[in-house]
Amino acid sequence: MIELREVSKVYPGQSAPAVDNLSMTVEKGETCVLVGPSGCGKSTTLRMINRMIDTTAGTILIDGKDIRQSDPDKLRMDIGYVIQQIGLLPHRSVAENIAIVPRLHGWPKDRIKKRVDELLTLIGLDPEESRHKFPSQLSGGQMQRVGVARAMAVDPPIMLMDEPFGAVDPIARNHLQDEFLRLQKEMKKTICFVTHDINEAIKMGDRIAIFSAGQLVQYGTPQEILSKPTNDFVKDFIGLDRVVKILSLFHVKDVARRTICTAGESELPNVAGKMRDLGADTCFVLDNGGRAAGFITWEDIAKHGDSAASETMQQIVAGRKKAFVQELVLLRDALSLMLELDTEHLGVMDGNRITGAISLRDIRKHASKKEGE
Amino acid sequence: MNWARMQDALVHRAPEALSVHLLMVVITIGIAVAIALPLGVILTRPRYKKLSMIVMNVMNLLQTVPGLAVIALVMPFLGLGLKPTIVALSVQGLLPIARNTIAGIYAVGPDVKEAALGMGMSHRQILYEVELPLAMPIILAGIRTSTVYVVSVGTLAAYIGGGGLGDLIVTGLAMFWTEFLLVGAGLGALLAIVLDRTLAYVEFRITPPGLGS
Repeated sequence: MIELREVSKVYPGQSAPAVDNLSMTVEKGETCVLVGPSGCGKSTTLRMINRMIDTTAGTILIDGKDIRQSDPDKLRMDIGYVIQQIGLLPHRSVAENIAIVPRLHGWPKDRIKKRVDELLTLIGLDPEESRHKFPSQLSGGQMQRVGVARAMAVDPPIMLMDEPFGAVDPIARNHLQDEFLRLQKEMKKTICFVTHDINEAIKMGDRIAIFSAGQLVQYGTPQEILSKPTNDFVKDFIGLDRVVKILSLFHVKDVARRTICTAGESELPNVAGKMRDLGADTCFVLDNGGRAAGFITWEDIAKHGDSAASETMQQIVAGRKKAFVQELVLLRDALSLMLELDTEHLGVMDGNRITGAISLRDIRKHASKKEGE
Repeated sequence: MNWARMQDALVHRAPEALSVHLLMVVITIGIAVAIALPLGVILTRPRYKKLSMIVMNVMNLLQTVPGLAVIALVMPFLGLGLKPTIVALSVQGLLPIARNTIAGIYAVGPDVKEAALGMGMSHRQILYEVELPLAMPIILAGIRTSTVYVVSVGTLAAYIGGGGLGDLIVTGLAMFWTEFLLVGAGLGALLAIVLDRTLAYVEFRITPPGLGS
């Protein structure tokens, strides 16, 4: 747990404090994202936690212990630190870079070697192949992975990350974010993560701290921040697509309706009755192989009539061949797919299995409900 | 061209002159490195950063004093011989080494130092494990510059009895013996080239493999 109590930082020669009377707590095992425009004090705050910068006033406690009681070097050896520029030592191999902190801790050689291989595997690099490489031989994404591995080498309970994925291209960034989320799910480290990208904050954070001009403007879960921005600054910072961003906090499975009605292609003329019996508003039509070929909705039936020619129905079904999403897709992406396909309904699948249906109305209702919370 | 004289210069005079010259250069550079390297390191420490401007200016000033003048200036204080020569040459050899040490350490990326500090390395560990290894190619380039310079200025040592290849040159000038001049100057040039190439090779070898060469 990291506790900041009335912490301020005034840089010499500046009148305005970089961080002004900040109090906040980062709970054990949580990822707290500090976000805000440049110069808002988020990096300064991060760097005060491992004493790269000393506080002007106030107290910082790690697990209840004042950090000023620890020797700065010792303190930093127990806190993982990742920066945007990575800072791999260019004259040391990948393995030597990862081994730095274990070496400072005085680990025996064989233990270090084992740990290095373990970490390389964890970050998706082949130990045999990459151990002896030098940083200049790696891609940007690989370098950043090695940077993260290096920070995790002695399995520190706390990690500080200053725009760790800021310098890689968007595709690699997305990939690194996903990988890190997956790791964090198991590691449950206490993480402070600085970024200026609100989308990254929403994606990575259990809690988000929004900074402006050295002050903490709002601190809460992504949902709290998105649904109840405390002031216009936060609102502006989140952007006009605030409600769409709320949709990125939820998955299709959170909203999907689970009443499943299926019918074979030959049963098309009778689907209305079948749907009525089951109380379903979507009926999936299966092809001969038992796979979902598409679906029919009440709206189709209302438009074309109960007894529409089965050719019309078949056309509708065929037009929906692509209108399916996986359960773990974000609501935002489901909405995007609806807009792309110009449809208000999507079938929901888990792998190859049909598990429900979702409509534009469901998403709209969910968004307005969450916004109201 | 007098072959007997040439033979005399090459066979009887050159070996001793060359070895004295080499000794003079090696000792001088040893002393210069021993002073300039720590000095350069100290001047890059945050506490002494302000001093570095002053020290560098003083050294720049010293460097502008002609080699002959420095050698002449030490004579009244330290007398004649190899020792005063080495003192004079060491002073002249300091600047390139100190300057390159400072430049080399400053050239180490701030991100690398930030990361090293953030991982818990002490300032001493950062100096020995990060700054010096990364600055080493530039420092060695300074030592090379200094070495070549000392080889050439070292020929002036003959004027205060320091010996070396300068003896051949001075004798040649006094007696109008072209052969002595040729041997002295030629060996001086050769020595400079050989030492320069040797150090260039060392520089190449110790450049950390991760740094593009």
